[in-house]
Amino acid sequence: MQQTEICTFLKTFFSENGCAITENSPYSMQVQLTEELDKALMNRPFYWHYIEKMGGQPNLATLSLKTDPKEEEGELIHFGSPRLHKIFSYVIEKGRFGQFFEPVPPEGKTVPLKPWLCLNGKIVYHCHQKKEEFFSIGLSLITGEMLKEFHSLVKSSSLKVSIPDFCFTLTPLIKPGSGIDRIHQYLFHTIEKENHQWAEEAMCKMDKELALLERFYAGTTEKPPSYEKEKASITGLYAPSIQLDIINGGIFYLHNHPLTGFS
Amino acid sequence: MQPPILTDNKWIEEFTEALNLQKPLSSWKQYNMAFETAQKNMISDFQTLEAPKQLPQLTLHDYQYDAARKAINEMNGRAILADEVGLGKTIEAGLILKEYMIRGLVKKVLILAPASLVTQWCAELNSKFYIPAVEQRKKPQWETVDIMVTSIDTAKRGNHAEIIKNIDYDMVIIDEAHKLKNKKTRNYQFVREVKKKFCLLLTATPVQNKLSELFHLISLLKPGYLGDEEAFNDYFQRGEHYGELQELIQKVMIRNRRDETDMDWPKRIVQTVPVRFSSDYHTVYEQICRLKQKMKEEYHSPQSGFLVLTLQREFCSSREAVFMTLKNAVEKREMPSEQMNQEFLNMMTSLNHLPSHPKADKVLELINSWEKDEKVVIFTEYRATQLYLQWFLGQHGIRSVPFRGGFKRSKKDWMRQLFQNQAQVLIATEAGGEGINLQFCHRIINYDLPWNPMRIEQRIGRLHRLGQEKDVNIYHLAVENTIEDHILKLLYKKIGLFEGVIGELDHILEKFGSNHIQSHLSSIFSQSESEGEMRIKLDHLSSIVLEEEKEEATHATN
Repeated sequence: MQQTEICTFLKTFFSENGCAITENSPYSMQVQLTEELDKALMNRPFYWHYIEKMGGQPNLATLSLKTDPKEEEGELIHFGSPRLHKIFSYVIEKGRFGQFFEPVPPEGKTVPLKPWLCLNGKIVYHCHQKKEEFFSIGLSLITGEMLKEFHSLVKSSSLKVSIPDFCFTLTPLIKPGSGIDRIHQYLFHTIEKENHQWAEEAMCKMDKELALLERFYAGTTEKPPSYEKEKASITGLYAPSIQLDIINGGIFYLHNHPLTGFS
Repeated sequence: MQPPILTDNKWIEEFTEALNLQKPLSSWKQYNMAFETAQKNMISDFQTLEAPKQLPQLTLHDYQYDAARKAINEMNGRAILADEVGLGKTIEAGLILKEYMIRGLVKKVLILAPASLVTQWCAELNSKFYIPAVEQRKKPQWETVDIMVTSIDTAKRGNHAEIIKNIDYDMVIIDEAHKLKNKKTRNYQFVREVKKKFCLLLTATPVQNKLSELFHLISLLKPGYLGDEEAFNDYFQRGEHYGELQELIQKVMIRNRRDETDMDWPKRIVQTVPVRFSSDYHTVYEQICRLKQKMKEEYHSPQSGFLVLTLQREFCSSREAVFMTLKNAVEKREMPSEQMNQEFLNMMTSLNHLPSHPKADKVLELINSWEKDEKVVIFTEYRATQLYLQWFLGQHGIRSVPFRGGFKRSKKDWMRQLFQNQAQVLIATEAGGEGINLQFCHRIINYDLPWNPMRIEQRIGRLHRLGQEKDVNIYHLAVENTIEDHILKLLYKKIGLFEGVIGELDHILEKFGSNHIQSHLSSIFSQSESEGEMRIKLDHLSSIVLEEEKEEATHATN
């Protein structure tokens, strides 16, 4: 993330969360936190505990932030700064589950909205190394049709969290639970078809080191505790596994098919 | 092969709850922002280092970046970081740790550092890497604190050790790891029993004396990598398979040398300051020298030679140092005869009548010749000298603080701070050489010379390291026409220790073994019958050392 990008992100984040922002310059700002953000970002549980117990008026914190090191005042925010990471986790935590509706303009007649399930997440390849691969899959809970890159199809439309007037939702034929299963099955298949050389290499390294370990302790009749420890460490280090981590997901009630665009 | 696939069951469960409206749902904006944020933080491949992107304020040198990359990608996070003193091994370790933390491969970390460096480790990890490292407190919370910094002496204590051994650490970092060279020590056993996936061993001197030390270090990292001990000794110890060993070591050890890095280092300005004994001092020195012959006649053991040698060296340092040795010898009744005993007692009396030590006078003269309050670190080998110097400088209105390896961590920190803020002089004994960073000072006085040349290097490394902005002035004091003079002229100067950049020397010593040199020196000084014999033998020794170096050089050019 570039500094300008971070700056935009911060402004969106704080205004989205109802904070008053005073911009001192394009790269520095004063933010008056809300109670919720103060609790989430300022790490002062004792203060809040005290205020709540005593029923006092909280003195909400103000953050002074800058994204350009040359700016005089404020805490420098960059991609690695702990403050930003706290904001990141807050953002991710707040956006995990959703239920969204296509805003169909009222035209006098009732319009059916078809349910879709979407899962966004990453495939985590894990051994002594780690890499992640992104996925976003949508599944029609009526027809079972599956769409890749679902999020990029819906992201620029202005979906609503409540059902528009003159609309009704179709009851899913596929329950969300089995929808999740279907998407997982699909991912399992894709993963199985992949080349897992990384895992083979990791196993190979593991076997080699385990063999060395055996040789090292070959002469000892009774193995010392360190033997088991080291063995477990080596296995823990190299053993390959794959994890399906879900970032977020939701049920989308759409009138139009995602590939054709929305109202 | 197909690795097992795990699903995110927690999310699935919570999602179902959310749909039943038992949990709040996100707004469309929140949902989108979460998605974008997660995508920005993705780790898209195995190899590229993510950490530097998150540390824009950190100036990384190329060799440090390369070291981290190599330790992670080629050595699988189990490596010995053996850069020369002052090149920033801590930075490399911090970078590696950060990378693993960003990748989510490391969460639980134990860092074992010398007591005097614990605070500094914490400060650096927090300020430079935003790693929330915590210093161990009186009541350490091994289980609850994720990144704990402590000293090995604390960690290995019974009650702590039992808890630590039951924790699955993702990473263990050990600073000054050469202290683990002896596999019989409790420290070594303890480290061996800590469960660790990734492991970094930091040391500037992976081999201090014997090759087997390296064997034990590597066995902590990768047991069996160099075979078992017996096989290792049989195969490598004699040096025939040196190339092979070198190659194996390079796969687990990263070693950057100062002269290989493309940086402008502050210079080292070395100056030898001759000190002359006044006639009264000279008389006593002669008296000590004559002891050698006498003791030889009295009892024919080489042991006597060593004692005299010690006395000679001590006398070049301070009266107090000799006095303590004499006193001990007399008290322990080690003397073979009453006559010898009397001889020692006489000598103690004559010591009492001597004025201040000429070396101490010289130190005073040096300090007074500088600008007011110019800070200096004085290194000495002897505790007695340390005390004497502190008293002596105090008499002349110069504030000094002592520093010893045996100090508790808090005391070391305190002394360092006192030195930085209030005292002009820090007087360190040998043990104080390690584990303290004094970049804010740029003068060193080597009050007496250690015989292990690596120790000189470690002393200088306390100041001449990353972060030092000025040139470092180094003064060697040596008393003319004494044993010190011999060491200085015939050995140190010849092998170019002072002028040469660090690295060349430890190159030679790695092959030659610095212990070797030390024992040669001891035997030369204690056994030689005459001045001439001593000179010839020393010449011989230095030419052997030089020969090794030349051979190395031709080898390299071929």
